[in-house]
Amino acid sequence: MNRRTAIKQLFVVAGGMLIATSCDSGPQATSIALNHIKLNKADEDLLAELTEAILPKTDSPGAKDLNLHLFVMKMVDDCANPEDQANFLQGLQQAAKSNAKNQQDWQSYLAALPAEDAFVSILKRRTIQGYLNSEYVMKNKLIYELVPSRYNGAVKINA
Amino acid sequence: MANLLNDSAKQRTYDAIVIGSGISGGWAAKELCEKGLKTLVLERGRDVKHIKDYPTTNKYPWEFEHRNEIPYAIKQENPIVSRCYAYREDAAHFFVKDVEHPYVQEKPFDWIRGYQVGGKSLLWARQTQRWSDFDFEGPARDQFAVDWPIRYQDLKPWYDHVERFAGISGDRDGLPELPDGEFLPAYPLNIVEKYFKQQIESKYPGRKVISARCAHLSQPKQIHIDQGRVQCQNRVLCQRGCPFGGYFSSNASTLPWAAKTGNMTLRPDSVVHSILYDDAKGKAVGVKVIDKNSKEEMDFFADVIFLNAGALNSNLILLNSKSSRFPNGLGNDSGTLGKYVAFHNYSARISAQYEGHLDYTTEGRRPGGVYIPRFRNLHKQEMDFLRGYAAGFGASRSKSADQSGFGTDLKESLLNPKLGLWSIGSHMMGETIPKESNYVALDANLKDEWGMPQLKISVDYDDNDAKMKQDYLDTMEEMFTTAGFINIKRNDAGQAPGLDIHEMGGVRMGHDPKTSMLNKWNQLHSCPNVFVTDGACMTSTSTQNPSLTYMAFAARAVDYAVKHL
Repeated sequence: MNRRTAIKQLFVVAGGMLIATSCDSGPQATSIALNHIKLNKADEDLLAELTEAILPKTDSPGAKDLNLHLFVMKMVDDCANPEDQANFLQGLQQAAKSNAKNQQDWQSYLAALPAEDAFVSILKRRTIQGYLNSEYVMKNKLIYELVPSRYNGAVKINA
Repeated sequence: MANLLNDSAKQRTYDAIVIGSGISGGWAAKELCEKGLKTLVLERGRDVKHIKDYPTTNKYPWEFEHRNEIPYAIKQENPIVSRCYAYREDAAHFFVKDVEHPYVQEKPFDWIRGYQVGGKSLLWARQTQRWSDFDFEGPARDQFAVDWPIRYQDLKPWYDHVERFAGISGDRDGLPELPDGEFLPAYPLNIVEKYFKQQIESKYPGRKVISARCAHLSQPKQIHIDQGRVQCQNRVLCQRGCPFGGYFSSNASTLPWAAKTGNMTLRPDSVVHSILYDDAKGKAVGVKVIDKNSKEEMDFFADVIFLNAGALNSNLILLNSKSSRFPNGLGNDSGTLGKYVAFHNYSARISAQYEGHLDYTTEGRRPGGVYIPRFRNLHKQEMDFLRGYAAGFGASRSKSADQSGFGTDLKESLLNPKLGLWSIGSHMMGETIPKESNYVALDANLKDEWGMPQLKISVDYDDNDAKMKQDYLDTMEEMFTTAGFINIKRNDAGQAPGLDIHEMGGVRMGHDPKTSMLNKWNQLHSCPNVFVTDGACMTSTSTQNPSLTYMAFAARAVDYAVKHL
């Protein structure tokens, strides 16, 4: 095995997140280490389905391709307050009881939740945030310029 | 043994010591070193080398673990610094965390600090408006604080001097309340800002809307290239430290310049305990330092001492510099040390939208902004409050997407954002009146990790501030309405003093040693080989951003010190 392959198998870099085998590795462990909330691999897989339902693969990568479910986990774990964390976990448990089988089912499930539902608003907000700030989108779709080197204060729009 | 001690003391003896390496300390260091003085620069924080120690400077948004958000646990642990607009994942390493450096708030005061080489000059908002005689004559005209011992003409050559070197962009607007300087080309107003300017200047005589002067190299000159700096690249990621040296900081500009002379010794990790006063010699002889890491105490000696620790920390060091001659703090014969602390009133903002000029947008990014110089009570007292306010202003137009729904349509919508209306915003920058009751003092019991007494801060708004805030909101709302802006939203949710990061005073300048600490050359009246040229020296606050004035004071005081001591 050459060095490059070995490194590839050890780490997958997902937008700044180092996905490594966590300490309590095992079939139940999530792909990224969590500090504050408890989730298992089944939760992670469910989140992957949910984020993919929000932003599916089309002719361009979808949520799973971009590891947005891991981003959502990371943000809920580190940046949400305890109340939002509890609401999120509760919403995820509810979702786990759903009979949804495919992407369309999941879209219907999410759409049926009340707009003010904490779970769906956190899930959707973080999924969209992860998408719009992903390397893929910022390099290929809505280009982010690190060094613009210019400012034009009156650009006529070609309507 | 005596010889050994003498040798050791000799090794710790310099011509000059500068306490602090931030925006004013960097200037003191540069000027002293250029004039040939062997200068020790003491900085309480770690070293930060230009470019090399800007770890986040070239990162893309997706490279930040939390996309630039500060995690919840860190916010909970550090509520004060978390209220600062620039405390984000990309610059968090340049801010003092609340838990690391506690202080005592008798009244709420958000003390925002940057303990490293370069201090807050890495983090500042880079606004550099000159003060005028409307400011320096303010206390005398309006009967508050004490008369400034200087006028604009005393400082003008030094504004010229620091502006040429630092690189200040701006227009020559010809306003007596905001004197022109040695400017590089200004950053232009955009189409809606120009529209607002035209509306306001035609309908409100005496009110001006101009390009804010800022410390960015819009077009570098040889003196800037000689510093290793190049044109600002409009990244507007300044708080990370700029690899181009596009904005002025001690790290990019004054400190490397001072180092190049061979006369500077920079000692980071040096917490200054006090300035040493020799009763027999009747002057300050050095500085007591506690090594940040080893906690070892050591003394350094010099003929001239520049105190530039940052406004409130300069107060702390003087208060802690006790001797039999000065039992209440060095130079404190007047009893005013620590008192008459003031700040800028940034407690209100206002936003709106504009439906005009929708066939235009902007492109790229702009480091500067738009400035409305003070017009209230300018030529004479006309309101029911003293002094006035300047205002920041800005118009921008961004794209956003409909985020409703789930699935392919949502994705399509996100990838095709649409231009919205113009967003309009302004924030107030109010002068506050220095008062004896707004003070800092040493806490009697609490100490920090280095055995220094904790600073107790007792600073608050007053009725004058409340009236001024009300007037700012009413006046801006009227001006926005006049300009045809819609959805005007007033925000006076407020913030504690301190979050403006323009705390000033406590070691004020004045004519009279009985009512002030410093003379017109920034020397302690009663200990003239100690100079204070940071925010602590300010007699009043003006409405203008103060850093440029600290720089000018520092350069002017060094010139005087070298000629006269």
